[in-house]
Amino acid sequence: MGRLIAHRLLATIPVLLLVTAGVFALLHLTPGDPIDAMMAESVDATAKDALRRELGLDRPIPVQYAAWMGRLLRGDLGRSIRNGEPVIENVSRRIRPSLELALLAMAISLTIAFPLAIASAVHHNTGVDRLGTTFALFGICMPNFLLALLLIFLFGVTLRWLPISGYVDPLEEGWAGVRSLVLPAVTLGLALAAVVTRTLRSSLLDALAEDYVRTARAKGLAESHVIRRHVLKNALIPVVTVLGLQLGTLIGGAVITEYVFALPGVGRLVVDAVFARDYPLVQGVILLIAVGFIASNLLVDVLYGWIDPRIRLR
Amino acid sequence: MAGSIPESAFADRAAALAGAAAVSDRRWDALRRAARARLAPFGAAVLIAALAVALAAPVLAPYDPYAQDLGSALQAPGRAHLLGTDNVGRDVLSRVIWGTRVSLVAGFVSVAIAALAGSLLGIAAGYSGGRVDGLVMRVMDAVLSFPPLVLALALGAVLGAGLTGVLIALGVVYTPTFARLMRGQVLTVKARDYVEAARALGAPAWRIAWQHVLPNAAAPIVVQASLSVAFAILAEASLSFLGLGIQPPGASWGSMINAGRGYLQQAPWIVFGPGAALFVTVVGLNFVGDAIRDGLDPRLRG
Repeated sequence: MGRLIAHRLLATIPVLLLVTAGVFALLHLTPGDPIDAMMAESVDATAKDALRRELGLDRPIPVQYAAWMGRLLRGDLGRSIRNGEPVIENVSRRIRPSLELALLAMAISLTIAFPLAIASAVHHNTGVDRLGTTFALFGICMPNFLLALLLIFLFGVTLRWLPISGYVDPLEEGWAGVRSLVLPAVTLGLALAAVVTRTLRSSLLDALAEDYVRTARAKGLAESHVIRRHVLKNALIPVVTVLGLQLGTLIGGAVITEYVFALPGVGRLVVDAVFARDYPLVQGVILLIAVGFIASNLLVDVLYGWIDPRIRLR
Repeated sequence: MAGSIPESAFADRAAALAGAAAVSDRRWDALRRAARARLAPFGAAVLIAALAVALAAPVLAPYDPYAQDLGSALQAPGRAHLLGTDNVGRDVLSRVIWGTRVSLVAGFVSVAIAALAGSLLGIAAGYSGGRVDGLVMRVMDAVLSFPPLVLALALGAVLGAGLTGVLIALGVVYTPTFARLMRGQVLTVKARDYVEAARALGAPAWRIAWQHVLPNAAAPIVVQASLSVAFAILAEASLSFLGLGIQPPGASWGSMINAGRGYLQQAPWIVFGPGAALFVTVVGLNFVGDAIRDGLDPRLRG
């Protein structure tokens, strides 16, 4: 197990180096002078030169890269041009709504996906099953900004049950906070639920056909016991795979969901930074997201080894 | 999944688990194939209709998609305006029709860019092996280290708003999938006896690549491309929705939906028209992609 982790960690290093190089290059891909893109035409030349010096853009590119990497290694991700605060502070202020959204969405998706997938698999080829597969297809093809607007239209505008935008922290305001997160979390969770339903249903069907299930039934175990202890447990591995694979999609979905519902999360921060042309902030946030993404994938890899010892032995 | 890009990232890891997953995929596919006996023609019809609408947009659109008429703003769907009008009185149907062009161009062109770039990189990597292979594939890994939409957003920001920026951004995002696929094919084909024989006869590398590797690798590339188009259309709509794609007053489904979201209460049809067009197109293209996969890549069948 330790070797597996060490091996994965080592393999990550070159990728991390390339990721930082890519993020660094981002600023230099702008057509024309990045300073002109960041500041309005009207700003006078001395202010522009000051910013240029501050960002080190007056130096040769290799020197800039070395200096930037040096700061990165010391944990300095740069400062936002707009509010002058370090990137880290900008992000840490925004991380809570994003995490709450992600957790709630995950909870919703599993709450929907597990019963639906189990019902679909147990009542294979019946109306329930068709309902499950149709739901999966629907969830996969539905753009989540559209789903968000449909939910807003139905529950916010027409029925007026739930708030349609803004954020209240559930850890401070309790119920009001949960209410403010329901529609965003359902938006994000439904798409994930679709993918999980689809995967879990088919892996359940496989597990149901195994010999050990027949044995379990033959020795007289109750069907619910067979499903819980023998089928479900063995059907979970593909679900972990899919959850890992869906992580990137989930982050992208969170960006859009936070944008639609005006949640002050990290995804919203990315969009705002992009449109404010706050390139140092864009670079910093994107680098953090990429590193987080790589780390979670690493975690999923390690999780496999833990769930399924056969993978460890490869 | 919604609003995003196919999950080919970390496919290697999935392959490690293929033993367990292959059987289940097959069963799922078998069921879906049964369903598709009805659905593939629907997908094809949607694709043909979308292409026809895109080509004949100037003829089909009842109004000028840019013509504002404040006097008839926010009109509900009716005889004069089948899908209603938006906040400045533009005909929603006409804008949906013109938006079809943007969506299809975005879907097909960005996937074409990715398929071309990815195939070339994959051939180069698989064929040269060694350091070139290592470098190219690590770069592809690095691209896959970014959540697709976030990368597209950053690239779009840097390249500037507009369709070209979006096409390039999506092209970059999808390239690694094709590069990995092509490299895998090259490695498989390279080990075959007939390639050995061709090399022994003194055939130059480019000839082997052209005559032996490409024809063998074409099918999976086409399959992947057809499955990617629907996701690329979704991705373009997402970027346009966020404001990066086609700029106003240009008509793209994503930007129309974004513009209409402020009027959900008074005029939900501004969102529903382009929303329905987007959803139906993506579902249809998914069916077509699945059908092409079943036809071209029998290994993926049950």
